[in-house]
Amino acid sequence: MHGLEDEPYYGIGQSGPKMKILEVEVKNRAGLHTRPAALLVKTASKFKSDITLLKDGFAVNAKSIIGVMTLAAEPGCRLTLQIEGPDEEEAAQTLGALFASGFGEE
Amino acid sequence: MLRVLSWCGRSEGAVKNRPTFQKSAIPVSFMIEQLRERIRVPIEPLNTVDASRRLVTEADLHRPGLALAGFTQLFTWQRVQILGNTEIEYLHYLDPEARRKAFWNVIQFDVPCLILTHGNELEPELLAMATERGIPVYRTLVPSTRFMYLLRDFLDDQFAPQQTVHGTLVDVYGVGLLLIGQSGIGKSEVALDLVERGHRLVADDVVVVTRKSETVLIGSGTELVQHFMEIRGLGILDIRSMFGIRAIRFQKRIEVVVELELFDPNADYTRTGLDGNTISILDVPIPHVKLPIVPGKNVTVICEVIALNYLLEHYGYKPAEEFRRRLEKRIAERAREGREGIERSVEYFEHDFE
Repeated sequence: MHGLEDEPYYGIGQSGPKMKILEVEVKNRAGLHTRPAALLVKTASKFKSDITLLKDGFAVNAKSIIGVMTLAAEPGCRLTLQIEGPDEEEAAQTLGALFASGFGEE
Repeated sequence: MLRVLSWCGRSEGAVKNRPTFQKSAIPVSFMIEQLRERIRVPIEPLNTVDASRRLVTEADLHRPGLALAGFTQLFTWQRVQILGNTEIEYLHYLDPEARRKAFWNVIQFDVPCLILTHGNELEPELLAMATERGIPVYRTLVPSTRFMYLLRDFLDDQFAPQQTVHGTLVDVYGVGLLLIGQSGIGKSEVALDLVERGHRLVADDVVVVTRKSETVLIGSGTELVQHFMEIRGLGILDIRSMFGIRAIRFQKRIEVVVELELFDPNADYTRTGLDGNTISILDVPIPHVKLPIVPGKNVTVICEVIALNYLLEHYGYKPAEEFRRRLEKRIAERAREGREGIERSVEYFEHDFE
């Protein structure tokens, strides 16, 4: 696949009515490598909701370490989180804060 | 270049809410390189222009006969233009002045590239005109129809709609089983078990599904992950180095979707196999088996049986249909002959007490 040109459109209109959608940015300098990916998966797995991470049209389950690492998210890139389920509010807050903190890295 | 679509191809159930995406353009240089290296079509450039900046945006091809003759309305110039025997003979037939004019009719547009088939030649003067316009020109010895078939198939593949599915794809007795179900239900464990029994892993966790034709879905892993797999409690394993080359494959048609779920006493599970449930991925209906997980159930063996049953049905034998026929026949016989009781499958045990 080649470089991205178009602004991705994730078909938000198609999603369920109650779904939470959150834009996050990878802030730490090393990107979403093994340690932050594991932390993200551990945190996401605590929630009952279905949590999907989207990047460039790729959708992966945020509770799967292989899935999250597939994105190979580089520093500065933006990801979309789709959260759907009984604890979606809380999940959105916790995961949003985790990204904002740069996973405790520089 | 990737375009993310929401409308093209809908999916339902466990694979819903996933965007579909497809490439919106590929560089001409990439197309030619792939033709040469992957499809092994001998093709050579006739001029030197930067083909990495020219883009192919459509899978369709065009033979610009009418455009050469001057009719440029409705000319689909954005497609790859194929110059075969007819087009080249027509150019030869014209006098030099008319020839330049006819050729200009085509190259006044920003066509992605020109491809001469059947080993045809282009007059140096015309070639220079194309170079001037920055249009790459190629030549192949392959005849037009054959070449167009090969290129069309490649472009169809490149522009096919794709989607990622959270699941595990395994080749079981040659049948592509896509295991889906919520995180932690044991998809990877079942796949590992299947690999141990001699079946082949295609992808775990992230399966990239491509609609290869109206009825065919092909699944593969991603370039980064390949045959790595996570087993909870163990961490990340590499199936290829652990079990060897026989345990993996890179692509497989998806033939049955097996959905693992916790047993729900209120859910409606098929009891006869006559319902023919399907699930839609990228608008392609795929047979769908919902498999409740209960203690003591060997999901691996059931997956093998699902694959074998699919093969039986594929070759024309439907066990549930067969059983229904036998039952209906027996009911009719009883009604006719007034027989009672349930018959043993062997009427007389002879003197063979085994």
